[in-house]
Amino acid sequence: MSVIGAQTANINATAGMPPPRIARMRRATFFSFVGLGTIVGTWLMYAFLSEHGMRWSEWALLAVFLPLYYQLNVGFWTALFGVWLMNRPKPDSLNLWRTLKPEDHDADITASTAIIMPVFNEDVTRVFEGLRAIYLSLEQTGHSKNFDFFILSDSNQTSQWIEEETAWLELCRQLNAFGRIFYRKRRKPINRKSGNVSDFCRRWGKRYRYMLVLDADSLMSGNLITSMARIMEKNPGIGILQTFPKQIGAETLLGRVMQFAQALYGPPFMAGLDYWQCGEANFWGHNAIVRLEPFIKYCALPPLPGKEPFGGHILSHDFVEAALMRKAGYAVRLLNTNRGSYEEGPPTLVDMLKRDRRWCQGNMQHFWLLFAKGWHPMSRVNFAHGILSYASSLLWFLFLVFSTFLAATPLPHVDAQAVRAEQILLGVTAMLIFLPKLTILLDEIITGRLFKPLKLRLLTFISSMADTVVFTLMAPVLMIFHSQFVVYTVLGKGVRWVTQRRKLDGGVDWAEVFFTFWGVSIIAVIWGTIGWFVSHSFFLWFCPILVSLLLAIPVAIMVSGRRSGLRFGLFLTPEETDPPSVLAMMNDNLTEIKGRIHLPPELEKHHGLLQVCLDPYVNGLHVSLLRRRKSIDVSRSYLDEIAKRLIQQGPQALNAQEIKAMIHDTETVTDLHYRLWSARDHELAPFWATAIRQYNLAASSPFTHTLAQREPA
Amino acid sequence: MEAVNIQFAPETGTEEEWNEAYARLADYFRSYQLHNRIRRTQLILETLRRAAAAHKLDTKRTPTAHSIEEARRMLKEWLGAIYSDMNLNESQLEAAGRLGFHLSGGPARWPNFFLDKDNLSQEMMEAMRSAIRASGPGMQVSKMTPRDMDLGIVSEVAEDTFDRLGRHPILRYAILISIVGAVLGYLYLLLR
Repeated sequence: MSVIGAQTANINATAGMPPPRIARMRRATFFSFVGLGTIVGTWLMYAFLSEHGMRWSEWALLAVFLPLYYQLNVGFWTALFGVWLMNRPKPDSLNLWRTLKPEDHDADITASTAIIMPVFNEDVTRVFEGLRAIYLSLEQTGHSKNFDFFILSDSNQTSQWIEEETAWLELCRQLNAFGRIFYRKRRKPINRKSGNVSDFCRRWGKRYRYMLVLDADSLMSGNLITSMARIMEKNPGIGILQTFPKQIGAETLLGRVMQFAQALYGPPFMAGLDYWQCGEANFWGHNAIVRLEPFIKYCALPPLPGKEPFGGHILSHDFVEAALMRKAGYAVRLLNTNRGSYEEGPPTLVDMLKRDRRWCQGNMQHFWLLFAKGWHPMSRVNFAHGILSYASSLLWFLFLVFSTFLAATPLPHVDAQAVRAEQILLGVTAMLIFLPKLTILLDEIITGRLFKPLKLRLLTFISSMADTVVFTLMAPVLMIFHSQFVVYTVLGKGVRWVTQRRKLDGGVDWAEVFFTFWGVSIIAVIWGTIGWFVSHSFFLWFCPILVSLLLAIPVAIMVSGRRSGLRFGLFLTPEETDPPSVLAMMNDNLTEIKGRIHLPPELEKHHGLLQVCLDPYVNGLHVSLLRRRKSIDVSRSYLDEIAKRLIQQGPQALNAQEIKAMIHDTETVTDLHYRLWSARDHELAPFWATAIRQYNLAASSPFTHTLAQREPA
Repeated sequence: MEAVNIQFAPETGTEEEWNEAYARLADYFRSYQLHNRIRRTQLILETLRRAAAAHKLDTKRTPTAHSIEEARRMLKEWLGAIYSDMNLNESQLEAAGRLGFHLSGGPARWPNFFLDKDNLSQEMMEAMRSAIRASGPGMQVSKMTPRDMDLGIVSEVAEDTFDRLGRHPILRYAILISIVGAVLGYLYLLLR
């Protein structure tokens, strides 16, 4: 592929950056509404609380109420502006799709684009079948020739690593895509995902004008990818173009509820966000295209002051990269997409909390950047909103604590103005919570944006009512955990980089659920007892939250199960009823692989290791891909000793570090292959004796273990 | 390679040992995805004969070990003939050569030429030579260095505070416990 320069000719260099006048006006409008709503709410609260003068606990209550009400207003007005934008007859003047003319869709794409997928111990089959679907979808557009694919692996589990290599080779063979799909494994995963992407940029960034970043669970259609490249070509002022990734593939109740909610409420929220964020939108780290030259030049991440978790390496790098890109003068835009950009969500509540813990730490780190010099003001707002999205849980928790204090020292509210303020505040708050949902639902019932058949629209209505119950039951539990995460981060308790589980393997882990949520139920009992003694009316007011906390364990089990309402037609999404071709293709292949012959569990567990040691082709592939080094980190005798232990005692006798050391050395890997085959049966660990006997029976080809078998193109 | 001659009478080693070596070689050549059973048998017998000769000279090593070593030697000789002008070192030759045979569809297309250095198919050689792949395109190195960021006065103060707290975990937890204690104490006073 030819290497093309980084500049786009004959187009206004700032195209894609919304005019400052429009951006200012939009923000003035939006934040006026938000500000007004917040001030009115806070004033009503003050009027209610100050009937007998303000005590410190009332000031404290008001202090935590203010940011919470601001956040509520931001969500409310974003959704309402979104619904308005989606329904107004005149198209949005800033809509990026308008920059493409009909003839542009057939024009050749001359810009070189790298589609990168950083992976870390992910499900190899899902990664490569997803990649295959994207690749083929892109091929179908007829404009794929300047797109290259990179799998950037940081996997530190040996079997995973080998399976990635074999899947890469087989995929390239089946698609005849050697020289188009590349695999890179980092020896040392410095700075996690952002380090992986930076490493790609340093090595190959100059070859490409754009970089499309995918997550391991991402799926994108070829049409959307080519359109994004075209939009970037037409708008050189855009540095990052982010799509709205819709959730797919959920099997549990939680996953399907989240998926449904995102499909129904997501588009108006995205439209609203696009309205007021303009050229200062956020980057979510994947399903987005990035202009590489400014990214390399300006978006390298500095370490934060202090130690992890609050300082050190930036975890949520995407927000910071967006801010840096904007600081460099390039727009970060949100592309309104309904189809073509997908991702998967966590299957269970425990998995969701694990992910939130990581995100929470990442967002809390942005505290340092709030006051840094040179940011666009909207970048600060984005950082603040990110922090608030988790800190608000702690604020809500404190709000309830202060409310308990106030309930313990009740003062009669007799003043008509205070009573009216309380009633109005209650009404306004209920409106802020429920009106966006009702408006979006009404919009769907009238317009049928998701579903045209009336039956499906009615099912959407029922599903929306049902998801309110699920979210109401989960919200207090999330509040407790998010508060805990915030406190943990401030106290210096960091999180480890772990693989995200995306599918529920087997059933619900009851023990994990119990040990995760029992503390929440205990809090409910203690708080409920205090509330009962404090005031019976307070207890009743507080009951919905207490019940949710008390039922945390059964609710977590229920939402993590596979009874997801599908058989009743609940929580349906357009991707379930009418899957796009890219998704259908991937699902077909994943179904085929599920039916393949399995080796005994012990062999399956170490399948990658088994293959690299026994299979002459996999061994050859691995050695070919290893970088040859003049010296090794450990001594030859050490490698020899662990290789001997591996042969005589099996993989369980070695720890991960020992296996890693061995598998990184070309000589040892080659030698191991022959030593295993040369050993007599009684010299081998039972693992290897069984493996040698059974390996050839299970694999028709060593490279099809993780991929669907499709004839080469 | 000569036509199949099933006569095999090793002078050293036991029958059990040679049977084990046979079984191992059978598994080994199957792992090359050679589904042509006649060819596999030919290869096993040829390798066993060479192994028997080697075992006669060195009886300390088992027939199985000799057999696999001979198979490796045959592979190296065969690959050496195919990639003779490609300047590959020993481990590259073995690794890339095996992979080349697989990628060119060798096990299904040319099973009869496998390990037969005296009878090389031109088509197979071309296919194997062109199948040597790289995992990434040529690098074009860029510099990507973070720029200095002025985090402002608030961050400086916060950094000092967190740094101090970070050095004194007991102080950190003491502050937290004091806050929780104060809250509970206040609640107790209210409920008294």
